[in-house]
Amino acid sequence: MMTSMPPKLQILAFLAAAPLAAQPFTPQALSFFETSVRPILKNSCHPCHNQRTRSSGLALDTREDVLTGGNRGPAVQPGAPGESRLLQAVEQTGELKMPKGGRLKDEQIAVLRQWIEQKVPWPDEGAQKRPGWNHWSFQTPQRPAVPAVKDSAWVRNPIDPFVLARLERESVKPSPEADRNTLLRRLSFDLTGLPPTPQESQAFLADVSPNAYEKVVDRLLASPHYGERWGRHWLDLARYADSDGYTIDAPRQIWKYRDWVIQALNRDLPFDQFVIEQIAGDLLPHPTTDQLIATGFHRNTTSNYEGGIDFEQYRVEAVADRVATTGAAFLGLTVGCARCHDHKYDPITQREFYQLFAFFNNTTEIASESERYRFNQPMLDLATPEEQARREANRAQVAMLSRELAEYAAALAARPAEPGDPPKHQDPGLRERVANLAALRRRLPPITSTLVMRDLPEPRQAYIHLGGDFLRHGAPVSPGVPAVLSSAPVTGNRLDLARWLADPANPLTARVTVNRMWQAYFGKGLVETENDFGLMGAKPTHPELLDWLATEFVARGWSQKAMHRLIVTSATYRQSSRHRPDLEEADPYNRLLARQTRLRLEAEILRDAALVSSGLLTPVIGGPSVYPPIPEGAMAITQVKRAWPTATGPDRYRRGLYTFYYRSIPHPGLALFDAPDATAACTRRFRSNSPLQALTLLNDEAYIEFARALAKRILKDAPAADAARLDYAFLLALGRHPKPVERDRLARLLALQRDEYRSDPTSASLLVVKEQVFDSSPGGNRDLGETVDPKQVPELAAWTALSRVLFNLDDFLTRE
Amino acid sequence: MTWDDRLLQFETRRHFFGRCGVGLGRLALASLISDRALFGATAKPSNPMAPKAPHFPAKVKNVIYLFMAGAPSQLELFDYKPKLQEYDGKTAPESLLKGKRFAFMDSFTKDPPKLLGARREFQRHGKSGLYLSELLPNIGTVADDIALLSGVSTDNFNHGPAKCFVNTGSVRFGRPSIGAWVTYGIGSESEDLPGFVVLESGPRGPRGGAALWSSGFLPSAYQGVPFRSGGDPILDLSSPKGITERTQRQSLDAIRDLNLAKLAETGDPEITTRIAAYEMAYRMQTSGPELIDFSKETRQTLEMYGAEPGKSSYANNCLLARRLVERGVRFVQLYHADWDHHADLGQPLDQVCREIDRPTAALIRDLKQRGLLEHTLVIWGGEFGRTPMGEVRERNKVGRNHHIDAYSLFLAGGGIRGGQVVGGTDELGFTPTERIHIHDLQATLLHLLGLDHTRLTFPFQGRQFRLTDVGGQVINKLLT
Repeated sequence: MMTSMPPKLQILAFLAAAPLAAQPFTPQALSFFETSVRPILKNSCHPCHNQRTRSSGLALDTREDVLTGGNRGPAVQPGAPGESRLLQAVEQTGELKMPKGGRLKDEQIAVLRQWIEQKVPWPDEGAQKRPGWNHWSFQTPQRPAVPAVKDSAWVRNPIDPFVLARLERESVKPSPEADRNTLLRRLSFDLTGLPPTPQESQAFLADVSPNAYEKVVDRLLASPHYGERWGRHWLDLARYADSDGYTIDAPRQIWKYRDWVIQALNRDLPFDQFVIEQIAGDLLPHPTTDQLIATGFHRNTTSNYEGGIDFEQYRVEAVADRVATTGAAFLGLTVGCARCHDHKYDPITQREFYQLFAFFNNTTEIASESERYRFNQPMLDLATPEEQARREANRAQVAMLSRELAEYAAALAARPAEPGDPPKHQDPGLRERVANLAALRRRLPPITSTLVMRDLPEPRQAYIHLGGDFLRHGAPVSPGVPAVLSSAPVTGNRLDLARWLADPANPLTARVTVNRMWQAYFGKGLVETENDFGLMGAKPTHPELLDWLATEFVARGWSQKAMHRLIVTSATYRQSSRHRPDLEEADPYNRLLARQTRLRLEAEILRDAALVSSGLLTPVIGGPSVYPPIPEGAMAITQVKRAWPTATGPDRYRRGLYTFYYRSIPHPGLALFDAPDATAACTRRFRSNSPLQALTLLNDEAYIEFARALAKRILKDAPAADAARLDYAFLLALGRHPKPVERDRLARLLALQRDEYRSDPTSASLLVVKEQVFDSSPGGNRDLGETVDPKQVPELAAWTALSRVLFNLDDFLTRE
Repeated sequence: MTWDDRLLQFETRRHFFGRCGVGLGRLALASLISDRALFGATAKPSNPMAPKAPHFPAKVKNVIYLFMAGAPSQLELFDYKPKLQEYDGKTAPESLLKGKRFAFMDSFTKDPPKLLGARREFQRHGKSGLYLSELLPNIGTVADDIALLSGVSTDNFNHGPAKCFVNTGSVRFGRPSIGAWVTYGIGSESEDLPGFVVLESGPRGPRGGAALWSSGFLPSAYQGVPFRSGGDPILDLSSPKGITERTQRQSLDAIRDLNLAKLAETGDPEITTRIAAYEMAYRMQTSGPELIDFSKETRQTLEMYGAEPGKSSYANNCLLARRLVERGVRFVQLYHADWDHHADLGQPLDQVCREIDRPTAALIRDLKQRGLLEHTLVIWGGEFGRTPMGEVRERNKVGRNHHIDAYSLFLAGGGIRGGQVVGGTDELGFTPTERIHIHDLQATLLHLLGLDHTRLTFPFQGRQFRLTDVGGQVINKLLT
């Protein structure tokens, strides 16, 4: 109510509302516009300033365009020609001189002046929409009907008719179901990132009940490793890493955020809440510690504090990254393209980029040199009780020593100097006390903390940055979302943005999310350009299925587990991944989904698979990142030398996602297998296939350690006959029994290696007798530190060589 | 014909193994899988590094990029400015500094900075009479082979982003580097070594690290492979302790055979790529040690470079770079630190110039003697230049601050007209007399390799990206 506002605000509100309010113009005024003004605009301005080109952000297609203006601000002030940029530009009295080709005639300028004086008459032409506004992905998904199919026996759940209907239209038969070993292995990798154990395989093969498969799905979804597997997918989007990036790249603590993601997935936190807590957990009423930790999502930006930089530049970079990441992760749009100019393809203006920017522009990160030494703030102190106790003990000791030092110094100052005494500041007693105090301060134990979002009490004013340059401020902007994506304006703070992202009416969030799930299961999404649902993006291969899944996601209370269960229990998912010679021509990229897809395991999962096969895995969930072995010299190329305290206890065998990640020098075992570089949101990983990967799997000491452990396990657990042992080795590494041709080939290798190591016991010892004996910290070291019977050495070496071969097979590296 | 080409050609298993057996020569090809037909499907192997045709005939095949990390002072090395000498010690005119931004601005702008004449003498060299600093006597001897680019401008005045800009065309980390673009565009001719190799020397690694030779959004096969200066040149190149040569070969044979069986079963062409990758890995294990073994180099060659076998140095890396291009590696990039002379243009500058002068000249001469220079492009330069104004950080010493408007680089090799200066700066060395931007250098580099910088693109985040972003013009004056 206007009347309840203070007078000053009333005026402000009036001024804000006035320009856009419909104005009744006289017929004469409208006629003047049509006959005199519109031709000038059309001929002299419109070629550059239309809704398609928007030179300098300015379009002149509608009255609203004119009043909103471009990057420099409104083009006209109705009734005030003297304050109107448009008039200044055409009069060419200031810096801005328009039109580019030459000056308008004086009488034309007079017409424009009169038009502005008359408060910009313009006929009501209805809501003008930008080109592209009716693009499919900008409309809220509608629930499609499940199509009818001929082969209804193939259908297992509502996903399948959508796929089958398309196949039937193309007269293509789906592939047969994969065999049960393959299904179990596929499910285990897809849902937990770990291969099945021989016991799990046996149990599944022995279970003849009709819902044996569904029981496995439920077991895997309930496993705490589910959160690790799907958490890592999410961390790719969150650009999570354990260091600051840029050139100094110091370690940072934000692993609590990583653990929050794992736990949120394990308890199946509804996706809308999952989004809200990460974008704006700090702005929720009475936020819990967990909700604060969740805001680490947007603190995974890189920080620069190299000497000589302009801190404002890198603060702006971080905010722009938050906009781009929000666009990629939730909207599947390349909003980052609108940073320097209006989006070239999608109806997103540069102004709207900076309106999104305005939501993230208020955090308390530093913006100037004077704050250099608190660059990684705000941090949430999460000291454990032990850390707290140690910190308090340390503080008490520091206080005591400080007092004692002060007393000593006072006494020293008061004491008259004797001949032969050193200068007072060099007094040995004083120096010792100062040194002790400094040492004690250094001994302050490391305290668990995590980076979180926090807003300034007063928001920073956001501006359009002309040409994307942080120094060139254009018109001020307030928070807002792209107009084509929302029927009602959205403004306010990050919490309002988060609620809009997680609103079922948002046309993109649910679609983009289910599409990425689909991508993880089939290698590519129903929309192949998973990061671009805009006008230049690929059209969905199965648009109705995409919308059915998106609406189903909302209908099931945004439960991610429910969606996973739905997808993996479909007949579509359960197909064999064999290539189909009959489809090589018709569907080389498997867009019809007439088969499953073979996928090389991700970097972390490859390591996990070897850890499980060899029996070495330490299955602890969460905690600070760890330092498994790293190739010698791998850390030698950073600007600031970083320590790599290789773990010798249980942390040596943690899952790949817990490996400490330095942005400037990621662990080679991760980087070579396409783990993302954590500089920007990664919506899909490459799956490269390079000789350096072969060198890693063949020669890296970590993999030799796994092979040795696998060999020991085979010799210890399997009956003492080669055939039985080969079968067991195959089962442990590949989750199945070998075919005769495979068993024969391995038997021949084994025979060759026995000869080799019997004739060369020195090499055999080098391969299997460890030089280093690890200390057994709690949990012990599972690498069988026991000494090897010398008589057993050649045999163990031969089996180690064989195990190493298993870890290098395409079969081992690939999810079928 | 490469091994991969042969793999491409196979029609039947017998044919494949027959050719393979010839190609692999010394390798035992005994013990193959039983005789049942293995190949049901036609495989389409793909080797991402296979040589590809350029857009138009290329002037050069290979590139050696000598990156001088930290920004060498062009005013002490290349940009001869007698007028600046006259103004030595005078306050820089305000018109020069108005609207300009510099690194360390806060400390820089307290007192108006004073102009600083070059701290070194210059002489003319070669038939062309190119002016070069007394710090570069050896480079002076190849002056007629080099073209000096003067008045080059770039976009960012901080080391990390600026290095990123020169290497990727963007100040933001995460874009593909030049070497990645080049190998993506035309592959590499080496069968036994990666197509894009990075070598480092100096007291520390370059700021920016792996981002400088990243493949960005291109497939990771194109990322630079950083060789180590000591030990294995490539991580995990040596077989592990206790894995004998025979075990390694027998293991690879078994891996190949079992992978072939899997290929027959699944028809997945990715498996043929993997088989090729394993064979390349094996060949790298052999070619790697041979590559870094300088024992076959003559004493004369070693002395020319100042290379000492087994030592980590720029000189060794220059020799290694020649050996790499000799073996068909497409793109070799050397980084040498540290050139960031804010505080002292005296001894520290002498030192680093001594480190690079002789090996750089030796590399150009050696390539020329061996007929390699005509199809190799050599580039020498840093991420930006230094100001004509002095900077005083320590008493009795003077240095120069970062300057991004007018710096110098030089090029030599195929397609380059040596013995000339292209571009130029005003009499104080502050402002270029014509605009030459880093995107222009990148466009020229690609042009010499037969690539049109506007056509070498990759779709990412909704648009076609390229090395030169939205800029870049080939610098025709540089070319023969």
